[in-house]
Amino acid sequence: MAKVIDINVHHVTRVEGHGNIRVRAADGKIETVQWQVPEAPRFFEAMVRGRSYLDIQTIVSRICGICSVTHTLAATKAIEDAMGIVVSEQTDKVRLLLQYAEQLESHSLHVGYLVAPDLLGQKSVVPLVASHPDVVKTVIKLHRTGNTWMEKIGGRMTHPVTVIPGGFASLPGESYLRELKTTLAGIVPDLKVLAEVVLSLAPKLPAFNRPTEYVALVHPGEYSLYHGQIGSTDAKETVPVQKFESVVNEYVTAQSTAKWCKWHRDSYAVGALARYNLTSKNLHPLAAATAKMFGLAPGCCNPYFNSVVQVVECVHAVEDSLRLIDELLTTGIKQEMVKVKPRAGEGAGAVEAPRGILFHRYAFDKEGRCLKANCCIPTNQNHANIQKDFEALVPTIMDRGQDEVRLLMEMLVRAYDPCISCSTHYLNVEFV
Amino acid sequence: MSARVIAIGLGNVLMSDEGVGVHVVQAVRDAVPGDDSIVFLEAGTSGMCALHAMAGLAKAVFVDCAFMGTAPGTLRCFSPDDVASRTQCRRFSLHEGDLLEIIALSRRLEECPAVVRIFGIEPAQVAPGEHLSPVLAARMADYVRAVVAELATEK
Repeated sequence: MAKVIDINVHHVTRVEGHGNIRVRAADGKIETVQWQVPEAPRFFEAMVRGRSYLDIQTIVSRICGICSVTHTLAATKAIEDAMGIVVSEQTDKVRLLLQYAEQLESHSLHVGYLVAPDLLGQKSVVPLVASHPDVVKTVIKLHRTGNTWMEKIGGRMTHPVTVIPGGFASLPGESYLRELKTTLAGIVPDLKVLAEVVLSLAPKLPAFNRPTEYVALVHPGEYSLYHGQIGSTDAKETVPVQKFESVVNEYVTAQSTAKWCKWHRDSYAVGALARYNLTSKNLHPLAAATAKMFGLAPGCCNPYFNSVVQVVECVHAVEDSLRLIDELLTTGIKQEMVKVKPRAGEGAGAVEAPRGILFHRYAFDKEGRCLKANCCIPTNQNHANIQKDFEALVPTIMDRGQDEVRLLMEMLVRAYDPCISCSTHYLNVEFV
Repeated sequence: MSARVIAIGLGNVLMSDEGVGVHVVQAVRDAVPGDDSIVFLEAGTSGMCALHAMAGLAKAVFVDCAFMGTAPGTLRCFSPDDVASRTQCRRFSLHEGDLLEIIALSRRLEECPAVVRIFGIEPAQVAPGEHLSPVLAARMADYVRAVVAELATEK
């Protein structure tokens, strides 16, 4: 066993910083194990104050460039809750269709670009093009499909513009829905390839299990991304979304500028594994069969398997989208005039972002100007759980050498698919 | 006429000069109306979109905020092979994106445009804000002129 382990994975490139892993152990005794998030505040909740309810989704969609659809939807649902706006069943279905596009895009990107390199012994996806070209091309095809799908329904690949309080500014046409149906049916074989590749690599996923509370949206009969109330594996009763603050219980911790959350235990986890543990019985048949391939069962508490569930969710997304398209084509797309009269009120909205349950709350004056805002994002809710995972994991792997300890801890963070800041991404170059 | 050139603006418009790429591409699009051979993409903070958007085209022109060691407001146009990236990615998050790596991936996939040019603009401030700094705002016309000229050249 190494006498001293000193790991300081420090993210050095950004103004805010992202996540740092700090471990120090000497002679078998752990002195420090920390997941640090030195993010600078981004002021979105302050930025929207004074803005019209019509502008909110445009602004907050920029919280994230990968889950901009889910921020848009959470915000729009919160506005509709605040103003008593009821949307049509058609709006509901088209929004869910848009959300599935983002889930396919985000999950395929995460599994293919971040997780696969670890499992294939590479530092990034670029060398995988030479060593595993078919895998990379499959991932890119799925990613591209999700992007194009988001653009067609959301109006843009990133930061959608068609979602408005009360409905849609522009709806997809029936001929597009027929085209989408063909496209989605066509990628089922690609999803099978992805699942088989991940299955072949699954033995490399660390066997680390830690009993954890899982939190996700729960709605009868659905593997829900959009509808429902807040459920927990530690509680039989759900909590209304409007009371989300009583679930997240955010608090400040010295090692992180991002707040931590806790509910029934010291921490909880959100994301694909949480959704699976709470609602797997509602997966569609092919997705359920994919889960069975991996030997997944409710009660799985290995965080590294979050990525495996993401593959299962891609399959479910396609299956449920085909159902939605059939229903929309059967009733026909009806153009709806959205007429919203702003009024004073306060409301909350929740959706399942690819990374977990996402909450938005807004209050408005009688002219529809925002008075206050509160957003609680899934990655924030996971930070405390990553810390607890570290504390449990490190003692079991200390004898494997510093490099392997660092890799396993980095893999753990990546498994959560954290969305740590979309704030800046500028080039940083030197001329050669 | 089908598109053969793409102009891609990168950046977050809520972080002041960090969003200059998006502002410039918006202005360039307004400056060259009706030219079907050029596609415009505001890729925002999702650099991965660029991978798909530029696939199979003849030329890609990126506009982005860039720390180049020059004075704030400086515009430099270069090819990916002219620079080395100092960006270090820990690969914790999909937000970590290095444009140069995306271009490298596109090349490996053999779908990268034959000509790739990058306009880097040195920021004066990268901080929360919806507007460009006065330094960059004053030079927008220069940036637009340079990008329009580049879009008009074959190579």
